[in-house]
Amino acid sequence: MKDGPIYKDITSDESYRFALSALADDELPKADRAALLERLANDAEAVERLERYRAQNAALKAMFPVRPETVRRVFVPRRVPWYRRAGVAAGWLCCGLALGIAAGWLGPAFTTQPAFARNADMAYAVYASETRHAVEVEASDEKHLMSWLSKRLDRPLTAPSLQEYGYVLKGGRLLPDVSGPAAQFMYEDASGNRLTLYITAATRQAEAIQVLHKGNGQGTYYWVHKGMGYALSGRASKSNLQSMAIEICTALGGNPRLWQ
Amino acid sequence: MSFDSDVIALLPVLRRYAHALTGDTAWADDLVQDAAERALSGWSSWRAHSNLRAWLFTILRNLYIDQLRKQRETMVAGDDSPWNYMAAAQEVDGLFLRDVQRALYCLPADQREVLLLVGLEEFTYEEASRILKIPLGTVMSRLSRARERMHALMHVDDPKERAKAALKVVRSTP
Repeated sequence: MKDGPIYKDITSDESYRFALSALADDELPKADRAALLERLANDAEAVERLERYRAQNAALKAMFPVRPETVRRVFVPRRVPWYRRAGVAAGWLCCGLALGIAAGWLGPAFTTQPAFARNADMAYAVYASETRHAVEVEASDEKHLMSWLSKRLDRPLTAPSLQEYGYVLKGGRLLPDVSGPAAQFMYEDASGNRLTLYITAATRQAEAIQVLHKGNGQGTYYWVHKGMGYALSGRASKSNLQSMAIEICTALGGNPRLWQ
Repeated sequence: MSFDSDVIALLPVLRRYAHALTGDTAWADDLVQDAAERALSGWSSWRAHSNLRAWLFTILRNLYIDQLRKQRETMVAGDDSPWNYMAAAQEVDGLFLRDVQRALYCLPADQREVLLLVGLEEFTYEEASRILKIPLGTVMSRLSRARERMHALMHVDDPKERAKAALKVVRSTP
C-alpha cells in the first residue's frame, strides 16, 4: 500500500511530523496510515517521536485525573421551559454540587444583620397581615406606583415578576428607613400568601444573599448591590423563598453567585 | 431536566480541563461556574448541536480566552507559574511528570489548549477544530508543534535539543 504521501526525513519534513502526531491520535485516513506505518518500519527516530507523543498524552492524563469530588459547589440557576413553569412552584433550583464539602448551604457567614434587613422583616410582619390597607398604591396603577417610588428613592425601580411562582404584584408603599426612604413591593398568590420586596439605599459593600430567619416561619433573604439593599420576606418554604430571592437578585442585576 | 443533569454530570470533566488549561484551581472553579451558568441559561441554543461535551468546552474556552485577554497574561514562566506549586501526580514517573507540567505552562496558550483538548480530553481533530474555530489543518500543525516544543522545553539543558528548540522558534516566526 503506497497510496499515502511519501515522507522524507523526520527532522526536516514538517508534514511527516504532522502525520506522526495524527497517527498517535488515531486520526489518519486509512491509506495514509498504512503508508506511514510502512515508513516507520525503517525509521527509528520517527518511532521514538511517536513514543514521545504517546508518553506526553499519558503524562497529561496522569497529571489531570477527573476528580468529581473536587468540584466545588457550583451554583447553578435552573431554567425551566415556559410550558413547565405553570404550577411548578420550585421552578428554580439551586443545584449545589457540594461534593467533598459536606458543609451546609449557608456558611457561618452572617454576623451582623444590616438595619434595612431587620426593618424589611418588621415591615413584612406589619403590612403582610393587613387586609384592607396592605398597600398604599395598588398594582392596577403600576405605572404611577413605579414612577412615584423611583422618584422618592432617586433611582429607577422595578418589581421583577414572580409569576412563575404563582405570585403577582399587589402594590407597594413608601416607608422610612435609617438611610432615607424605602420602597416595599407586595406580592400575593392565589391563596393569599404574601411576599414583600423591600428596597432602600445601603451604605454597605456589595453583599451576597444572606438569610434572616425567625422562629415563626417568616424568613427574609437580603443582599446588597450597587449601593442598594434588597430584602425579600415571606412565609414561603425556605427553598422556595430562596429561589425567588435568587431570581430577583439576578433580575435586578445582582450576582447571586456571591452567595457562599 | 435531563439536559441539566447531563451538564452537571460533565462538570468534573470540564473542571479538569479548566484546571489543566489555567494551572490555577481558583480560576478553574470560576471558569466552570461561569460556563455552567451560561450553559444552563442558554440551553435553548444548544439544540442545534449534538455534542454536549464539545459545546460545553466551547463555552468554557471562550470564557477563558476573554479572561486571558483581559489579564494580558504573559507566557513567561515566573516564580508564580502554576507548575511551581502544582503537586505532580505520583502514579507515573514523578520527574517526567514535573517536566511535562513545567513545559505545558511554557507553551503558548494556543498550543496548550489544542494539546489538552486532543491529548488529554481525547477530542477528535474535527471537534477540536470546531471548539477552537480553526481549520482542521491548523489543529494538526499546532498540535504537532506543541508536542515538539514540549519535548524541546523538557530538554533545554541538553545542548543538542536546545539548538533544535532555537531553530524551531526561528521557523515559527512568519
